[in-house]
Amino acid sequence: MIGWEFPPFASGGLGVHCLELTSRLCAMGVEVDFFMPKSGEGVNSSHPNLHIIEVAKADISPYIFVSKSRRHTTYGENLMHAVEQYNKECAAVLVQRAKERGYSLIHAHDWLGVKAAGEAAGKTRLPIVHTFHSTEFDRTSVPWDFLVDIERQGVQNADLLIAVSRRTKAQLMRLGANEGKIRVVYNGVDAQKFNNGNGGNAALERFRQGRKTVLFFGRLTEQKGPMQFLHAAKKVLQVMPGTLFIVAGKGDMLPLLINTAIELGIKDNVMFLGYLSEEDQKRIYSAADLYVMPSTSEPFGITALEAMSAGTPVIISRTSGVGETVKGALLVDFWDINGMAQKMLSVLKYPVLGSSLSNAGKEDAMKMSWEKTAQSTIEVYNEAVARGKQ
Amino acid sequence: MKACFYFQVHQPLRLKRFSIFESHEQSVRERYFDNGLNRQILEKVAKKCYLPTNALMLELLEKHPGMRVSYSLTGVFMEQCKMFAPYLLDSFAALAKTGRVEFLSETYYHSLAALFPSKDEFVEQVKLHQREVEKLGGKTSVFRNTEAMFSNEIAYLAQRMGYEGILTEGIEHVLGWRSPNYLYSVKSCEGIKAMLRNYKLSDDIGYRFSAKWWSEYPLTADKYAKWLSSLEGDCVNVFMDYETFGEHHWEDTGIFEFLRALPGEMGKHPNLEFVTPSMLVKSAGAVGEIDVPHVISWADMERDTSAWLGNEMQRECFGILQELEAPIKELKDGELLSAWRMLQNSDHLYYLCTKSLSDQDVHNYFSPYDSPFDAYVNFRNILEDLRGEVKARQKA
Repeated sequence: MIGWEFPPFASGGLGVHCLELTSRLCAMGVEVDFFMPKSGEGVNSSHPNLHIIEVAKADISPYIFVSKSRRHTTYGENLMHAVEQYNKECAAVLVQRAKERGYSLIHAHDWLGVKAAGEAAGKTRLPIVHTFHSTEFDRTSVPWDFLVDIERQGVQNADLLIAVSRRTKAQLMRLGANEGKIRVVYNGVDAQKFNNGNGGNAALERFRQGRKTVLFFGRLTEQKGPMQFLHAAKKVLQVMPGTLFIVAGKGDMLPLLINTAIELGIKDNVMFLGYLSEEDQKRIYSAADLYVMPSTSEPFGITALEAMSAGTPVIISRTSGVGETVKGALLVDFWDINGMAQKMLSVLKYPVLGSSLSNAGKEDAMKMSWEKTAQSTIEVYNEAVARGKQ
Repeated sequence: MKACFYFQVHQPLRLKRFSIFESHEQSVRERYFDNGLNRQILEKVAKKCYLPTNALMLELLEKHPGMRVSYSLTGVFMEQCKMFAPYLLDSFAALAKTGRVEFLSETYYHSLAALFPSKDEFVEQVKLHQREVEKLGGKTSVFRNTEAMFSNEIAYLAQRMGYEGILTEGIEHVLGWRSPNYLYSVKSCEGIKAMLRNYKLSDDIGYRFSAKWWSEYPLTADKYAKWLSSLEGDCVNVFMDYETFGEHHWEDTGIFEFLRALPGEMGKHPNLEFVTPSMLVKSAGAVGEIDVPHVISWADMERDTSAWLGNEMQRECFGILQELEAPIKELKDGELLSAWRMLQNSDHLYYLCTKSLSDQDVHNYFSPYDSPFDAYVNFRNILEDLRGEVKARQKA
């Protein structure tokens, strides 16, 4: 499996997916060699079937720097070079190991692994399963042709494609994928992990002072909609002035968002938390009265499931993959600030709604397990191998 | 075997997407109800179902002198007809003129008023409905409560209002080993007879008519007439939504051909006779007594009130509706009263149903909302607005 990141050195759904998927696959008897760039920190395998192969050094988080304004500096030079280097070395090591390990197939993720998978498959004749967690069309409103081309290449090279939602499936078809080779496999959640509710956090409580709390948690980029969150917050505060809004996550929009909070006159009600450790994530989900995911385009949205498994009511964008499959959530259009604010206020004002959403959300989270994701992935593997033999 | 066909005719008065951020200069009715959408849906269903089915019924009544059918038109439906499609009411009045069509009584607002602790509102709504139906040329001695909700107490209320019969669902846990194909008396009532829906034969048309998985598919009129003729008992009550014709089952399923052929096929069986509910309760006696201490209905698998009051969101909203009765009636404001009553329409609560979220196809099919939570947000904000309006007028 050609990956990029692995928690805790991860910036998004791709890393969580790889960690959770590989551990379930290995438990189900699949042997996985997981390729990733050298993190410098050393990543340990969680299972004897999982071998972590670190090649090339790259300490750049790919999605943090995807932004129109900066792409020609950071994104363009450093990251592209690192990806190039990683793919090259990855392909070489993979081809070499293929002889001794007897691989059945190559499983790659997103545009980051397209070249390595293509090159290695060319030499080993192994089938490729390629999962897309997002496409360039999701990440920005002005897609970069260079990346779109790589994604097109990945879509062409793959024997079977895994899309993390029907929404992503449609994006892959936009990239020229044949519908017949796309399989939709939803992400999951470890329902136990976030459902521990272990007592919140004293420091946070002091700041919160009993205020109703609304949480945004995601990369601070255009795609995730933090700006809409602040504008909706302003509307909510007109009706419920005591509400606290937490913006958790990092990204290049942070300075802009801080300025916006000041300009909107809501800075005393908005708290920017930056990067959260997994422990802090657990705390923040259960501390919040409401989780809002206002993404403009969200291929899946694992954090919504995490919040649901913690029993926190969620409002999610209609343009999200997770919104296709869960029932215990309120849906909003990301551009409809009034609608978003009205739903936020409803959850905060009417406790019956919060508790009903919480119960239904927990039920949804129970159904969306990583075991199920792994099981479906194995089915796609089997199909790809069978196709390869024909 | 007396065959009683009864059709429920109803269209909910759908709500606007209420915005708490908009200014409130409009009247409450304009603020809450989506007239554009309501007109659009009524016109659509009129075209697909009501008008062609009424025309066909009229033709059949003229052709088959023994044929009789009955309806209940909710007040909410009749009011929308007056606003958007008066010609539709005329077509029902034309059916009444034949003298072989009966319009049953019910609560004007298709409400759950029978479940309010005080029964005044229920009685008022039934009387309001009676008045409207009489204008159409109808007269009846049979009552049918919203969604066939029924209990000993509801039967008693109907009896006290002078009704001789009441319709409900023929469910096993009420009947035990007994058949729905007879009339029954009701515990702690005197004289009022319960007519029980034969849900199997009703659903054969209402639900299964176009179901290709069904072993009896396709259902033909001669087969159905044979089934009716071979039944044991005094009567068979076939009750369903009128929208069965052309709306739940589209024209291309053959539902209209089925209806067209049915009276003729039934005529081939001398033991079959069409009756209206009033004729039936006057001509047949009760063979036993039913005892229904808890409210039953014709909805969902549970056949109880859980489709409307099954979860906390629904019970909270229903509680607010009840709480507003006294203050609204004290204000003596016709517009506020009518808006409050329109909000009692059972559909608004039905959309909030979360029963097995994984399997609520029927609820989803009828709901204009994303989810029950979405429906709650809209309904609850409207109720909150009405509450605020009542408070403001109390102060004024």
